[in-house]
Amino acid sequence: MSQGGDRELIGGQALYNALKAGSVWLQSHVAEVNALNVFPVPDGDTGTNMSLTLRAALDEVGSPQGLSVSEVGRRISHGALMGARGNSGVILSQILRGFARALDDKQAVTEQDVALGLTAASETAYKGVMKPVEGTILTVMREAAEAAQGAISVGGDVCAVLTAALSEAKASLLRTPELLPVLKEAGVVDAGGQGLVRVLEGILSYVRGDAVVADAEAKPAVETGHGHADAAEEEYGFDVQFIIHSPAKSVDLLREDLSVMGDSLLVVGDEQAVKVHIHSEHPGPILEYGIQQGTLSTIILENMQVQYREFVGTDHSDEGASGQIDVRYPVDRIRASLSGASPLADVSVVAVASGPGLAQVFSSLGAEAVVAGGQTMNPSTQDLVSAIESVANDSVLILPNNGNIILTAQQASEITSRQVRVVPTRTMPQGIAALLGFNYQAGLEENYEAMLESSQQVETLEVTQAVRSVQVNGLAVDEGQFIGLLNDDLRAAGDTPLAVVKALLGEMDMDEYEIISVYYGSGVTQEEASSLCEALGDVYPNLEYELLDGGQPHYHYIISAE
Amino acid sequence: MSEETTLGTIQVSPRAIASIAARAVLTSYGVVGMAPATVRDGIAEILNLENVYRGVDVQVVDGQVVIDLYVVVEYGTRISVVAHNMMESVKFAVEQALAMRVAEVNVHVQGVRVSDDD
Repeated sequence: MSQGGDRELIGGQALYNALKAGSVWLQSHVAEVNALNVFPVPDGDTGTNMSLTLRAALDEVGSPQGLSVSEVGRRISHGALMGARGNSGVILSQILRGFARALDDKQAVTEQDVALGLTAASETAYKGVMKPVEGTILTVMREAAEAAQGAISVGGDVCAVLTAALSEAKASLLRTPELLPVLKEAGVVDAGGQGLVRVLEGILSYVRGDAVVADAEAKPAVETGHGHADAAEEEYGFDVQFIIHSPAKSVDLLREDLSVMGDSLLVVGDEQAVKVHIHSEHPGPILEYGIQQGTLSTIILENMQVQYREFVGTDHSDEGASGQIDVRYPVDRIRASLSGASPLADVSVVAVASGPGLAQVFSSLGAEAVVAGGQTMNPSTQDLVSAIESVANDSVLILPNNGNIILTAQQASEITSRQVRVVPTRTMPQGIAALLGFNYQAGLEENYEAMLESSQQVETLEVTQAVRSVQVNGLAVDEGQFIGLLNDDLRAAGDTPLAVVKALLGEMDMDEYEIISVYYGSGVTQEEASSLCEALGDVYPNLEYELLDGGQPHYHYIISAE
Repeated sequence: MSEETTLGTIQVSPRAIASIAARAVLTSYGVVGMAPATVRDGIAEILNLENVYRGVDVQVVDGQVVIDLYVVVEYGTRISVVAHNMMESVKFAVEQALAMRVAEVNVHVQGVRVSDDD
């Protein structure tokens, strides 16, 4: 930032750096923001979405050197538009767009322009919806902009303007539960607002000259009394749940007390009954505390490490006659983290996956149990029954994710005494799409319908090698050639995986799709997969590509188009 | 859509469903107006708040609800995300309010509003 004369001028480089600082700071608090999400908002990953949107905006700038502040603003605006993810991402993109417009055609701007920019950001954001809802990021943005204007009127510089904006943003955030009943009920502040506060904090740090370091031990800017929602750390310790009847203290006070006793704290309820969920290495004091507060019931106490080990399994007793060993991939059983499958859901999901990367995807999307598919994707009926019986709920949905396993899943559902519905997914992308359609507040039947529908929205492409020469669907395939299947139907053959994928995509109406997710298998390196994606990007530049290490055996690539 | 109970019948008219859907659309981000389902002379007329329900077309087929939304979206937003968000909000609102299964929510973007200062 050049300090010329009486006024500080902010040029393109400075604007870029400031937003970059905001982005880094937000990124290190993604889990915290995600944890604040409250149903029934469809946007479940506010933190992730806002972070990705902001990063896309910054990526669009490229190299900020020598660019005017308005040019940087324009690029950020465009990048955010194209890269907006989720509802919160779209709102953020509007905020950035509004701010950018206020920069006019200027080379560099003053603190007044910054304040005007914040106001424009707020106004543009509000214009994007017919009935703006107060108690959301909109309110926080508006009140922050008002404070910024206030700082200008008393002659503040950029630092003062941003300090005032941030301070008011935090205060506004704290008031959001008063404006939006669902927030108050869940005892949280608005997720989008929290994300915005983090961005402003990062920006202010940069302006003040402090280094912005990704803070691994991120504490919430606003003490709402709940701990980390970092599921990866929670393989150890105990999962403690109970209900306190006629509690002596209010929900808020209980939450405050419990917040120092463990992680992934969830406290919901009213004067009659409060449900508590927490992870801790020392359940004793927590239970004692609960007993002091009222009558306890429905106590659940589970050793997460035992669960984890059991699942990782030294159990090889189900080696088939063919001598295949079913290796269970180490998968985090995500027990009630605030952003994942919640103990308050009445239905559990069991998914079958081949490949540790894919297993991780299912797990992180909320599948309570993931069964390994093995070399030829065939878990036994007993494997599935065990998985069904291992989950928390009596109502279970199974995602077989392979045509051969659907029948096995049906058999398993008949053997167990639990209520089971099999969603007939034939491929893993279908399973993932189905899982994305899962609704934590709905029951078994509703979820079955919803997941069935979601599973049908995605096209699956699979690439593997032919083990023998064959003629099928009018195609002559030689042994060793690469073959491509579109939704389980063999439709293409070629000498390279790329040729096969291109052929398959050529058969589809690519205007209908936006996102291509590529899961590369265990026989493929990241470089190979990466260059495949790049080559596809050349042919279809308007699509978004996601590259993931699926680690699946047998199929070089499993690709979903949605 | 009607439901028999021991005391009598509950009937929910498509117009009622449309109103609930319209309310969900009002708070859906990125939607700045609703247009009537029939676009006369190719010009999308933006409906005022009282008449937003006219931008919603409701059909009940085999006991399942199919909703078509005719909307105007704000220029500069990512339309696919806005549409997706709208579909989920409407589906949730109607299913919660009426305990009826919504089979489809279709979004028809009839126009894009460019703000004056663009």
